[in-house]
Amino acid sequence: MVLKAFFPTCCASADSGLLVGRWVPEQNSAVVLAVVHFPFIPIQVKELLAQVQQASGVGVAVLGTWCHRRQEPEESLGHFLEGLGAIFSHEPWLQLCRERGSKFWSCKATHRQVPTSPSAPGEDQVMLIFYDQRKVLLSQLHPPTALPDHQAGDATASTRGLAAVFDTVARSEALFRSDRFDEGLVRLSHWQSEGVEASILVELAKQASGPVCLLMAYLLSLISAASTCRVFKLWPLSFICSKLSTCEQLRHRLEQLTFIFSTQKAENASQLMRKANTLVSVLLDVALGLTLLSWLHGKDRIGQLADALVPVADPSSASSVVVYWAYCGQTGLCGQEPSQAECPWLLRVAQLRGRRKESLGAGKEWVAEELQHLLQWLMGAPAGLKMNRALDQVLGRFFLYHIHLWISYIHLMSPFIERILWHMGLSACLGLTVALSISDIIALLTFHIYCFYVYGARLYCLKICGLSSLWRLFRGKKWNVLRQRVDSCSYDLDQLFIGTLLFTILVFLLPTTALYYLVFTLLRLLVVTVQGLIHLLVDLINSLPLYALGLRLCRPYRLSAGVKFQVLEHEAGRPLRLLMQINPLPYNRVVHTYRLPSCGCHPKHSWGSLCRKLFFGELIYPWRQRGDKQD
Amino acid sequence: MAYRGGGGRRHGPSAAFHPVSPGRLFTCRTPTHNICMVSDFFYPNMGGVESHIYQLSQCLIERGHKVIIVTHAYGNRKGIRYLTKGLKVYYLPLKVMYNQSTATTLFHSLPLLRYIFVRERVTIIHSHSSFSAMAHDALFHAKTMGLRTVFTDHSLFGFADVSSVLTNKLLTVSLCDTNHIICVSYTSKENTVLRAALNPEIVSVIPNAVDPTDFTPDPFRRHDSITIVIVSRLVYRKGTDLLSGIIPELCQKYQDLNFIIGGEGPKRIILEEVRERYQLHDSSKIRVRLLGALEHKDVRNVLVQGHIFLNTSLTEAFCMAIVEAASCGLQVVSTRVGGIPEVLPENLIILCEPSVKSLCEGLEKAISQLKSGVLPAPEKIHNIVKTFYTWRNVAERTEKVYNRVAGETVLPMDKRLERLMSHCGPVTGCIFALLAVFNFLFLTFLRWMTPDSLIDVAIDATGPKGAWINQYPYSRKRGRNKTR
Amino acid sequence: MCAQPVPNTTEIRWQKVLYERQPFPDNYVDQRFLEELRKNIHARKYQYWAVVFESSVVIQQLCSVCVFGVIWWYMDEGLLAPHWLLGTGLALSLTGYVLFDLLDGGEGRRKSGRTRWADLKSALVFITFTYGFSPVLKTLTESVSTDTIYAMSVFMLLGHLIFFDYGANAAIVSSTLSLNMAIFASVCLASRLPRTLHAFIMVTFAIQIFALWPMLQKKLKACTPRCYVGVTLLFAFSALGGLLSISAVGATLFALLLVSISCLCPFYLIRLQLFKENIHGPWDEAEIKEDLSRFLS
Repeated sequence: MVLKAFFPTCCASADSGLLVGRWVPEQNSAVVLAVVHFPFIPIQVKELLAQVQQASGVGVAVLGTWCHRRQEPEESLGHFLEGLGAIFSHEPWLQLCRERGSKFWSCKATHRQVPTSPSAPGEDQVMLIFYDQRKVLLSQLHPPTALPDHQAGDATASTRGLAAVFDTVARSEALFRSDRFDEGLVRLSHWQSEGVEASILVELAKQASGPVCLLMAYLLSLISAASTCRVFKLWPLSFICSKLSTCEQLRHRLEQLTFIFSTQKAENASQLMRKANTLVSVLLDVALGLTLLSWLHGKDRIGQLADALVPVADPSSASSVVVYWAYCGQTGLCGQEPSQAECPWLLRVAQLRGRRKESLGAGKEWVAEELQHLLQWLMGAPAGLKMNRALDQVLGRFFLYHIHLWISYIHLMSPFIERILWHMGLSACLGLTVALSISDIIALLTFHIYCFYVYGARLYCLKICGLSSLWRLFRGKKWNVLRQRVDSCSYDLDQLFIGTLLFTILVFLLPTTALYYLVFTLLRLLVVTVQGLIHLLVDLINSLPLYALGLRLCRPYRLSAGVKFQVLEHEAGRPLRLLMQINPLPYNRVVHTYRLPSCGCHPKHSWGSLCRKLFFGELIYPWRQRGDKQD
Repeated sequence: MAYRGGGGRRHGPSAAFHPVSPGRLFTCRTPTHNICMVSDFFYPNMGGVESHIYQLSQCLIERGHKVIIVTHAYGNRKGIRYLTKGLKVYYLPLKVMYNQSTATTLFHSLPLLRYIFVRERVTIIHSHSSFSAMAHDALFHAKTMGLRTVFTDHSLFGFADVSSVLTNKLLTVSLCDTNHIICVSYTSKENTVLRAALNPEIVSVIPNAVDPTDFTPDPFRRHDSITIVIVSRLVYRKGTDLLSGIIPELCQKYQDLNFIIGGEGPKRIILEEVRERYQLHDSSKIRVRLLGALEHKDVRNVLVQGHIFLNTSLTEAFCMAIVEAASCGLQVVSTRVGGIPEVLPENLIILCEPSVKSLCEGLEKAISQLKSGVLPAPEKIHNIVKTFYTWRNVAERTEKVYNRVAGETVLPMDKRLERLMSHCGPVTGCIFALLAVFNFLFLTFLRWMTPDSLIDVAIDATGPKGAWINQYPYSRKRGRNKTR
Repeated sequence: MCAQPVPNTTEIRWQKVLYERQPFPDNYVDQRFLEELRKNIHARKYQYWAVVFESSVVIQQLCSVCVFGVIWWYMDEGLLAPHWLLGTGLALSLTGYVLFDLLDGGEGRRKSGRTRWADLKSALVFITFTYGFSPVLKTLTESVSTDTIYAMSVFMLLGHLIFFDYGANAAIVSSTLSLNMAIFASVCLASRLPRTLHAFIMVTFAIQIFALWPMLQKKLKACTPRCYVGVTLLFAFSALGGLLSISAVGATLFALLLVSISCLCPFYLIRLQLFKENIHGPWDEAEIKEDLSRFLS
């Protein structure tokens, strides 16, 4: 069998000495961690190794000898080194030798004891694998995801072998504390002996982080205690809080901060990464929020935004045009203005028009035109079935009245919009995501669309139910609730007559109702889509692991998916030399592994069930906040 | 391993004479055939047709023929499987349409079937069951390829409604140039001859059989109360509606009478309603037990719990159930429909009209006979019945059919087209003549693409001379002990 | 194997049993083969005039549809005053109502247990609903094109004729569906009339002619066949007359249709009986002749 010897590159130029490291019998490999230089006292070496073993839990031992020859080989040194094998007994005993200036090494691994099977030789072949100790120390191995047909725990041999190597190096911190420049009893060579740069800032931050964490944790605990007080559990407040996405976002932010500033140390690497990711994403969020704040407060943009938002809710755009056109289209009054008595709200529109001409006009014209196109297309419906005039008037008047109510509400609210926006801008300090909970404002402003949608949907749903039941009557059947199937039934004459009459009426009034329903549903879907997009953006910012991505970009060796081997120059008769290089984790796996938990809002329905609900007139609420966090 | 039996040529006589071997039961030189049984219905589906095919194949193998079975795939069960004595079953990956019958376009199965027939050197195609589309396909292709064909019909059909008219027309087309037809009873023969307008000389009557060792009476049967057993699918055709009238009447008349009903189906709900309505379930004794679907191996244990077996079918060609019941020593009461009067002698069966009153009278007669002890002992009944129907006899008679068929010539293409057009009516005949021509052209194309000489010959695994068994000589003795 | 049975000296007769080994070959054809075959045992012998009499039901329905169409046409053209139709309809309904009870001396009413009060309530319900919904009905199909309305009405009336219960026991018969289709057609057509009152009267008339008239005719046919024949002829002639006043071609075609249904079709039916060939035998599925639902009711 071939013996694999993992040798750190930093020790390739070290002076002769003993090889210290760990022997992994399952993979038949020896991981060399350091070289102990001459002179040394064997007892002290053994003591040191025992200390390290106790501290780190890694089974370090003396694996063999290292010989870095300067000139012609010294016989005495060679014999001396061989004699060491008797003192530090290790099975197998490794002897590595390198000539100065030569690239080729000679290795020997001998078994002291008589081998059991007659076919195995007393000497093994050795394969040298060089590795960069510092990188392996800092890197974290991400094993590949198990294939579906493998059992759990059935990791491949290579994965386990690699994990053993990385694990060994990572846990042997205790060994690397003393090096050859120390005045201690034992002189070691390892990665730290080349010197490592330490940053003052990092050290200061580490020192300062303790008290800062304590203070922040105390403050946050106060805030969370306040938020759990009884007042917030009362019904109106708790209902509102659960519906507003701002509150959701605030809660999420509070949780994130609590997590970052918790006084417990991270137990393992993934928790540390999560903390780091959370911190970076919070910082970025707050930075973006402050940028937004500064942008808003410059050049009276808040005022302009308020002006732009109010016309959206204003009835002269959006829905009122729909109803107006529907009404006019049937009465043939397309080109004429309706009388003032009929449409008092147009007076108000004229007033508003005077005040803020440019933005109001521009917004209104664009929205009105688009809806005009839509309605004209809808009214030119095929199959020759057009809307029923009488029902049209009824529905039109009904919706117009509601728009009238809505106008009053909006004009009540309009002075406050600016204030609300200013306060919202302030909340951007807490992060862009909080500010983006503007979707609440959108929901508030488009409440009338929601109302119309509900009216239209309920009417349509009622009609569809009635039609399906009366269609069964038409054919002489009825729905058997007990057996959940359709049975035949003999009806009385008067039941039949009334049923057929109602059925005829419902059939002919279906196109009108369907049209209203369609228009309002489309508007509602538009609003819902906008809300959904904002939520998605918020979700993205919340869950993206920026720190991990940054790490992957700048220090790719920190996140490794595996290793690759490069074959170095080879000479016949010499042992094979490989250079082990770390394969960084691909970006998609980084994102997948380190995704932060977010209150994801995913659409509740599949496309099929959404279409079905729309067809039957059931109310849809596609974006729902998930109660449980997902990782 | 050389293959045995079957001619190397496609046409011409198919018999190859098989030398005598010691230990064989037969001393004369009998011709052996390579038979391919084709049907949609086979194991793992359980039923009358399926067990008929299996048992017949086993007995034919015992007589020295080579038998393979072709059916469609059942779920994951695709490809080739081997059953007892090397019976090779091909599970073809064809799409199942309805009720285990394949969806057929009449042409898409030709390449597969041709391959199988050539590989196995098949000489006779034996199709089963007119409900099976694959069976008819195989007949059609076999005639195009010039092989002999035999068809077994297992059921009775009506004439009056639209579906029957169409099915009968298709059957006429399918059977007009088939070499021989086998029916399971005389009534069935009359029915088939009328449906397909056949010459009655080419229709043989070979009944089904029952394995008497599977159905033996229970020597320790109780005699304190009288139990009536019904084992059938609970569907309209099996007369389950009649039970809803018989059960309340008899249960009220006889206090110590019990019913055991085995089987599942859409009419089960009626029996449950009857049970509830007449409170036959929740008294201290359970008078009516509904057992649900029964596995084939459990049927005997259910049958021996009763004294009387009741069959209320509205139509049956042969009715294996009453023979199984008689073999278990039960007295049989049945409706006089279809082929049932031909199956058992008068002293073993009481026949009634298919009405509640008549069946009740019949049952009362049976009960009074039972109570007075006039009926023979179950073991005696079993011994009588066991000589009536055996699979070996069925196989022997079927072999006679094969020998007769082997001597006939297959109609060449022109005669076949003439036959189709004259026998099947102007419209249908012409359509199917056209389809036969297309089939022939397709076959020619396939022969050009993959000539017969390129197709490997399959190793013969059937029977005691089969390839696999020859490798392990010690299993031959074991196999012989197992034959019935 | 030869087909002819070898005549045995011991004269073993062939038996139709399967459990005995008989000395005959398996494909033996005995002279008792197909002895239980019966043909046309349920064949009915039809009498020409009886069939013509039965075909009058179909004639009645065709004429009803025709009369309905004619009356609608007159109302649409304005040739018929709505009040006149209402009055006549009401009078005829009352006469029919009285006649309905008189014909069998109250027997049917006693058997069905339906009181006059229930009849009055039904009638009130009809009138109220129709009157209440007639403004809605009037404007129902305003935006639908005339051709569509005509096509739909024709389709519905055709359906009414197809699904009507003429007394045959076929699966396609559904009296509910036929009545509903007739009412649907009448509502479609009524919505085309000029005023609300016209619509109301039209729908009422439709109920009378499609729901009440067939009931009376059925009773008449059962009790007094001669009167029934007379009434049918009168009805047919009046329908033809009405149609003639609108279009001669239509009237001719309609007359041809009536003649062919009442005279030609029975003749053809009787001719075709000669070609009937129903096969019966022991292989037939047994029919359960009793009503088994009595055990479960």
